[in-house]
Amino acid sequence: MKHLLGIQTLDKTTIELIFETATEFKNVLNRPIKKVPSLRDITVANIFFENSTRTRLSFELAEKRLSADVVNFTASSSSVKKGETLLDTVNNILAMKVDMVVMRHASVGAAQFIADRTAAQVINAGDGTHEHPTQGLLDAFSVREKLGEVAGKKIAIIGDIMHSRVALSNIFTFLKLGAEVRVCGPATLIPRHIAALGVSVSHQVQETLAWCDVANVLRIQLERQQIKYFPSLREYAAYFGITKAMLDNLNKPIVLMHPGPVNRGIELSSDAADSPHSIILDQVENGVAVRMAVLYLMAQYRDKILAVSA
Amino acid sequence: MRIIPANQILIQNVLLIDPFSPWHRQYVNLALEQGYICQVSPVEQDLQISLQNFRIFPANGLSMTIGWFDLGAHFQDPGNEHKETLTSGCQAATQGGFTEVALLPNTQPVIAHKQEVAYILQHNQPSQIVKVHPLAAVTQDTAGKELTEMIDLIHAGAVGFTDGSKPLWNTDILLKTLQYLQPWDALLLNRPEDTWLAQLGQMHEGIQSTFLGLKGIPALAETLMVERDINLLRYAGGKLHFTQISASDSLPLIAQAKQAGLSVSADVSALHLTLTDENLHQLDTACKISPPLRSHIDREALWQALANHTLDVICSGHHPQDEESKNLEFDLADFGAIGLETFFGSLNTYAPQWLLEDAMLAKFTSAPRQLLRQPLPALREGEKANFTLFDPQKIWTVNEQTIFSRSKNSPFWGQQLQGKAVAVCHNGLWAELD
Repeated sequence: MKHLLGIQTLDKTTIELIFETATEFKNVLNRPIKKVPSLRDITVANIFFENSTRTRLSFELAEKRLSADVVNFTASSSSVKKGETLLDTVNNILAMKVDMVVMRHASVGAAQFIADRTAAQVINAGDGTHEHPTQGLLDAFSVREKLGEVAGKKIAIIGDIMHSRVALSNIFTFLKLGAEVRVCGPATLIPRHIAALGVSVSHQVQETLAWCDVANVLRIQLERQQIKYFPSLREYAAYFGITKAMLDNLNKPIVLMHPGPVNRGIELSSDAADSPHSIILDQVENGVAVRMAVLYLMAQYRDKILAVSA
Repeated sequence: MRIIPANQILIQNVLLIDPFSPWHRQYVNLALEQGYICQVSPVEQDLQISLQNFRIFPANGLSMTIGWFDLGAHFQDPGNEHKETLTSGCQAATQGGFTEVALLPNTQPVIAHKQEVAYILQHNQPSQIVKVHPLAAVTQDTAGKELTEMIDLIHAGAVGFTDGSKPLWNTDILLKTLQYLQPWDALLLNRPEDTWLAQLGQMHEGIQSTFLGLKGIPALAETLMVERDINLLRYAGGKLHFTQISASDSLPLIAQAKQAGLSVSADVSALHLTLTDENLHQLDTACKISPPLRSHIDREALWQALANHTLDVICSGHHPQDEESKNLEFDLADFGAIGLETFFGSLNTYAPQWLLEDAMLAKFTSAPRQLLRQPLPALREGEKANFTLFDPQKIWTVNEQTIFSRSKNSPFWGQQLQGKAVAVCHNGLWAELD
């Protein structure tokens, strides 16, 4: 794997290889000595043009557990827009002999843009409203871990589908692995042509919860909405928020997921987020293992290229 | 490109295509003197003049029409001369086979007063092979609020009125413009797009935009305005032309309005006839244009609408943007693609035989002139020479050697196209093209 830019261009075999590798790394992470030397000669730059605490931390931990040298760069997209271009910023960092770039950016295709124009290996850590591939992978990995397999499972993605890069990466990952996928949320937050991706659409949360084996609840991204898509958070919480009582009333086991950070009391009530249905913290733990697997497989690709050229 | 006086030149064996000429669809020899067509005769006959000192141009069966006319190009001059100047734009037009170009008013400042019209017109010198025709703004600063002094602008030489790439969103302004222009029989051109539905949109709303997670511009943004504008036209009277129709759903509305006898016309750009939203799958910013490239269903419908005369004109959609505006993250990149040089090649590559029918060639020769009430050149003896000579078979590559526009934002960059203008003649000048 040269880059990880999105799930749409990834095949099922590669996804499964990532999962097998992640399983190994998860074992490593549960050992007293959590570090392996796989990325010892590699320098990774985490370039975040958008605020992120957990994704950056998760990547940084994954890199350090693999013994990579790590540098971090954080800037707001708007300040970069006014001055240096994205390409210049990244080229400056690469001139300092960085091998891999983990990048989050507010623009769709930003990771692809860098991959096309520089020699670095690129991991997309979120490009605008497009993809967040490692999140898609770790979500599917977590479902697989919890339910044994993904194929045949009914996965609901609930919330702001339109502005969520997690939604697209989840849809692509789960469909490739043979799950059924349904998206649910206010009609204004569901792209008009989403069914063309092979998912069903609902606007009723209770009905969707009754249908699914797994409910992946997305964060309401008010900061990414430049246009008003629903009247108020109060109304959203009342009609699209999920409570523990709703989950308990289902009389069936259900797996509750959230990519974090949770807006408690809006898309999820606290008692739902903290309920036994929730695997939110398992997702966080798996995030490090899955990101280690991705970095490791990309380093393998790099070694192969270097071996050929040597 | 080599430009010399159109004097004492003999074009041998050319297929003359001009329904208004007695030589229509015949292979002829054609002699030029002092910028005029001095003699035309069938290839098998000798010319009746002495050809001593004549420069011979063997056309070897190439085709000739009256000079091509572009109904709406952005030249970015004044204001953004680093993207295109009047001179570089005219070179691009020549290279593309155009002898006349109507210029959209979206410059800085906007073409909204007689001095700005005069600035455009002063470029029409004896040394220029391409004639530019200024289209003036309907509203000050193209902001859609305050009308420009349109009568004054007509007298200054404006050939029509439009806010160019800015839609006339204010219904009252559109109504008043239609009424105000009627006594002058001047054409109002409007870009139909609902600015609310299109806000923050990056590309056509469809499956491709869903895959990419980009905010779409629904076809509805266009059809709603087409419908609104036709209703206003029915109420106010006058003449209305829709620029750059992109959506199939707009077409029945225009066809019905024409059937109802309204003075409505419409154009489509060569870009929308040859590309679709699928060209954006790698986020190529050269394909980020406004109105957006739509689906292949829309593209097919646009071709059909040309054939059945719902659409009257094919324009270049020429909109130069420099590298700093285009080599960016997709959502930060500006809209626009150059189109003058690739106009014929792209269309002819996409629909080789179709384009060469009389009715299709009229869409970028006679039809735009008739809409703007500009004189129609003719390929007859005694007429001022204004024609384009083209080779529908010629294969060429879009690159630094063939693109004369100051900007290089072509969706066809690096590609091979089939069909090219090889020479143009206008304003007493003859240009042999690269």
